[in-house]
Amino acid sequence: MDDIDAMFSDLLGEMDLLTQSLGVETVPPASPSTSTKELNFSIGFTDLNESLNELEDNDLDALMADLVADLSATEEKLAAEMGTQKEPSPPPQHLPPSGGSRLSSPASSAASLSPPPPPQKSKPSKEDIEAQIKADKIKLALEKLKEAKVKKLVVKVLMNDGSSKTLMVDERQTVREVLDNLFEKTHCDCNVDWSLCETNPELQLERGFEDHENLVEPLSAWTRDSENKVLFQERQDKYEVFKNPQNYYLWKKNKKALQEIKDRDKELLIQENFCGTSIIVPDLEGALYLKEDGKKSWKQRLFQLRASGIYYVPKGKSKSSRDLVCFVQFDNVNVYYGKDFKSKYKAPTDFCFVLKHPQIQKESQYIKYLCCDDASSLNLWVTGIRIAKYGVAMYENYKTAMKKAAVTSVWTNRSTPSSSNQSTPSPTIKGSEKHHLPFQMMIVYKLTLRFTLLTQDFGNASPAPPPPPPPPLNEILPPPPPDPVLPPPPPSLPAKKTSPLPTNFPPPPPAMDSLPPPPLPPPVEDTSEAPPDFLPPPPPAAGFGSLPPPPPMMNSLPPPPPPACFGGVDQSLPPPPPDPGFLPPPPPQMLQGGGAGAPPPPPPPPPPPVAAPRAAIQPAGSVKKMPPPPPKRTTPSLHGGGGGGGGGGGDFMSELMKAMQKKRSDQ
Amino acid sequence: MAVWDLSVIVEDLGVDAPPLTIGVTSDLHIGGVILKLVEKTQIKRDWSDHALWWEQKQQWLLRTAWTLEKCGIHADARLVFMPQHKPLRLGLPNGITLRLRASFSSPVFHTVLEICKMLNIRHPEELSLLRPLEEKKKKKDKDSVEEIYDLTEVPLTSVSQPCLYNGMPAHFADSPKTEAVYKMLSVTLQPPAPEAIAKLYRPASVVDKAHINSRWLDSSRSLMQQGIRDNDRLWLRFKYFAFHDMEPKYDAVRLTQLYEQARWSILLEDIDCTEEEMMLFGALQYHISKVSQSEPQMLTSSAAMDDLESALQCLEVKMEGESSSASEMLENMTAPVLNDYLKIFRPKRLTLKGYKQYWFKFQDTSISYFKSKEESIGEPIQQINLKGCEVAPDVNVAAQKFLIRLLIPAPEGMNEVYLRCENEQQYAQWMAACRLASKGKTLADSSFQSEIESIRTFLAMQKTNSGSQGNAPTDDSINTHSLVSPRYHKKYKAKQLTPRILEAYQNVAQLSLTDALMRFLQIWQALPDFGISYVVVRFKGSRKDEVLGIAPNRLIRIDLGVGDVVKTWRYNNMRQWNVNWDIRQVAIEFDGNVNIAFSCVTADCKIVHEFIGGYIFMSTRSREKGNTLNEELFHKLTGGHEAL
Repeated sequence: MDDIDAMFSDLLGEMDLLTQSLGVETVPPASPSTSTKELNFSIGFTDLNESLNELEDNDLDALMADLVADLSATEEKLAAEMGTQKEPSPPPQHLPPSGGSRLSSPASSAASLSPPPPPQKSKPSKEDIEAQIKADKIKLALEKLKEAKVKKLVVKVLMNDGSSKTLMVDERQTVREVLDNLFEKTHCDCNVDWSLCETNPELQLERGFEDHENLVEPLSAWTRDSENKVLFQERQDKYEVFKNPQNYYLWKKNKKALQEIKDRDKELLIQENFCGTSIIVPDLEGALYLKEDGKKSWKQRLFQLRASGIYYVPKGKSKSSRDLVCFVQFDNVNVYYGKDFKSKYKAPTDFCFVLKHPQIQKESQYIKYLCCDDASSLNLWVTGIRIAKYGVAMYENYKTAMKKAAVTSVWTNRSTPSSSNQSTPSPTIKGSEKHHLPFQMMIVYKLTLRFTLLTQDFGNASPAPPPPPPPPLNEILPPPPPDPVLPPPPPSLPAKKTSPLPTNFPPPPPAMDSLPPPPLPPPVEDTSEAPPDFLPPPPPAAGFGSLPPPPPMMNSLPPPPPPACFGGVDQSLPPPPPDPGFLPPPPPQMLQGGGAGAPPPPPPPPPPPVAAPRAAIQPAGSVKKMPPPPPKRTTPSLHGGGGGGGGGGGDFMSELMKAMQKKRSDQ
Repeated sequence: MAVWDLSVIVEDLGVDAPPLTIGVTSDLHIGGVILKLVEKTQIKRDWSDHALWWEQKQQWLLRTAWTLEKCGIHADARLVFMPQHKPLRLGLPNGITLRLRASFSSPVFHTVLEICKMLNIRHPEELSLLRPLEEKKKKKDKDSVEEIYDLTEVPLTSVSQPCLYNGMPAHFADSPKTEAVYKMLSVTLQPPAPEAIAKLYRPASVVDKAHINSRWLDSSRSLMQQGIRDNDRLWLRFKYFAFHDMEPKYDAVRLTQLYEQARWSILLEDIDCTEEEMMLFGALQYHISKVSQSEPQMLTSSAAMDDLESALQCLEVKMEGESSSASEMLENMTAPVLNDYLKIFRPKRLTLKGYKQYWFKFQDTSISYFKSKEESIGEPIQQINLKGCEVAPDVNVAAQKFLIRLLIPAPEGMNEVYLRCENEQQYAQWMAACRLASKGKTLADSSFQSEIESIRTFLAMQKTNSGSQGNAPTDDSINTHSLVSPRYHKKYKAKQLTPRILEAYQNVAQLSLTDALMRFLQIWQALPDFGISYVVVRFKGSRKDEVLGIAPNRLIRIDLGVGDVVKTWRYNNMRQWNVNWDIRQVAIEFDGNVNIAFSCVTADCKIVHEFIGGYIFMSTRSREKGNTLNEELFHKLTGGHEAL
């Protein structure tokens, strides 16, 4: 039992650290808030304070859901352990239960982090057992440490319509995974053109991320006061080269011939250039304007694209390869589209691209500016550079995207309900998101969360949505119970609480107002060592049983989804400090609005068709699902009640803290 | 029927022996003639490989059932009775000459098939034979180098067995001598001496490059028919640059020889590349030669060994998984650290300050520095994360200058920082650490030690290079001039070249031998001019000579003077092509009523015809995954009028 106690205190310590680290991360961005308040014109948020105000309720819900999923998963595991501890043979069971809980936890993708259970001897001696336990504990601690090192960002993504979606992105996630996540959250048509791209307003640059890139890394290069944004949008140019390879590989031929090209010939071109032993880069050569270092003038030069880099022909020399001078190689630079360079840099045309190290964020002599004659040549060059830089990865990405697009229609319908079991709030998101299919997005703020939750499993569980294709299948098994239970809105929620899986949601309930948020300690690197000054662990299940059922309380709260829903689309642009307190609880109406398949602000054409089928396919389901929105939206009241202690960001953080304090006090 | 005398020269009796005369009738078939001949010689031996060669008609009489009448042979025919397989001196892509028995009677295409089977090269259809360049003058030392490798003893019948012994085809495992031959075939050679490269012929223009293509043998006729005699020299080369199904596991010889051909095409400027590309090729060659020396090659291609190896690997993985004990994990988590006094200099505008000494600490991917060792517990003066930075060496061993130039990205641009080390040892460690960090790897990475090693090797090379010229190079040092084409011998001194190659080397140093070979081939294949065979032609209606480039997927019309591409036609748009053998003109029709016609200036039109048909044949391979080579189709596509 000592072990269990130690484990539990360890767990509590972890949670505490989590709280603290959340708090800590909140502080720095908060300070510039006053000075940047007037930067409201930007769609992006300039600081955390503002961004938190700006956060859609359901965004917060989603975030909370992520976090709560962690917590609940943790507890679940503990419960499982407790259960097994009661059995006669305690110690060697230590690992197996964790395996069991792993199965039930929504997503355990990182197999690498979970070491295979040590070979079990049939009759271990007592010393062995003890040694084993000790080793296991150390291992566990180390794994936690490892997990703690995983960097996570909370990213706000803006959709085409100006609305936004907030997600937590873990540094191991690729853009593809984030896209899949967004597909699930937005119910777009999932075609291959959907991309994430970053904009840099200061340099007037824009770049679509490649699907195999990690998202966290480039975002980490942004400066703290960055106005950069992340957008979720359809980009024609993303995979155009695979749809119409002739425009890139036979660009010298006349346009008419290219239009008439047969599909078979397109395939052949892709075969030749992407499926051989070596990737062939389009044969590009032509005059481009180069902005001279530190000057305003643009000088024309003859450039050539090769697999090894961009070269130019020096004055008075031949075009032969040996005379070419290397202009840039691609190892350390990315290619960006320049926007409106005619006025910014007096460029000859507005068809400009830029090559720079991803970490450079401001004007610098190390940025190379190039200008093309027309849009098609710009497209050729940028795509050509991407092929040279990313090679076969681009083609692999495309194939993956195609597969995704093909299965999607079937899949989204299934996945929606299945994912809803992960946490209560997610149905909220789904429901409300449906109303603004068009999305465009931006990053809101960055927040590094150092998760020190119990084990890797739960760490992974937080970004549960990311690895979507496999999880749904697994998830489908557990979810069924909640789904049917969900529909009846508030009253049924308690019932759901007692259902097997989500039993131990640490309620993010209120009642904590009186508790001051814990002090925000300095950066927590030396985590893991748990301050064991917390109470002994009560059997969790019982503890929750005795909890004041949270849902009712929420009931009394104003339902939150409003701004996110269609009415709020416009509002979401300027920061409307969501005083959700007085927001009317209009779920039903909204539903009708959305269900009617007429999303009021639909800039891009694709959404409507999608919306319509969905409505058709599961009208009942969506109607039923709408109600849950109100669930555990505690933030508004907290927020209204005087904001958190930690600055503007407090409401989010303190909510979390309260959840945990609450838990503690219950114990 | 009247009996008449037929005299036949029997080669095996000696050059001066008089022809044997046998009495024949016109309805005697060839087989009967041979039988009579053999009886007459009274020599008991295996005559099965022998056949009759009709000298005036320059053709083999291989249909033994045909009668003399049907063949049109009369008493005046000069016939020679000789073996169909004769020794041939074969120049391989790696420059070595091999002596082996090849068929002089079957079409060259089939002869190459047999040769490749013996040499264990898959996809022989990609190779062919060509006449060597005329050797300018008889060199005195000619004989001393050649003829070391002899495979003529290998019985022809044993070649068909594909089984492997000791990691090589059975017929190589017979004797140490043949084992040596296999090693020569399957292991890359050390870089040639710079003088050797300089001595060899280098094409100076497209027209020069076109001339090599005039020397290809006709694949539908036999060697004998093309005037090749025993012990003549021929080159075996990859002719069609469409390499199908490259599989390092089975393609040891093929991969090695292809690499050698590619390497020489770079060194001899057969294919143009930029300076940066040349440095990377140089770095890869250096790496390949280093790794191939250390890796025991002979064992890698054995199937049995493969199984064992994979089994071992499997086991290893398991062990790793199971033994990841806490202490090991702890070790993994606490990365090693470098600590030392170094000097730092930040070249900013208007700073006159020189290098300042601090206590440096290298951890994870960051450098931090402190006033002194004693203060290293506190906050560092500065911490620099090297992830994504550029690292360049600035070293002069003679002057004892060991500088690491760092270009560190920051939001405002790149920051320049120089680190000065005291000695080689320190430099190698810190440089290796910087390199790894720039790629996001920590000191804990397994490549750290090998990175240090390779930096040391390069320092050693610089030492020997900077020494007096007469110094014999030590074993593991290579003259960097042997890694690049002669134009760079003139452009750079060896000690200027070394750091440039080292710079490129850091990106490839971790590759395995096979990966390095593959990378070399990939970069080679990605060159814009890769795979183009040139022929000088005269287009119908044009007054000047132009160059036709024949690539695996297209034909290119190139202006002879400027070298610009005038037009390209892709094979997949081709409707048909015809050769008018009387006026030696090739006519091609493409989709959309595009017709072109040209006569060939530097090469016979049969060669051009074969190239086009050959590439079309190559493109049919991918569809049917079958292993059997459709010889008939090849001849149909490339044979011309003789095949009909």
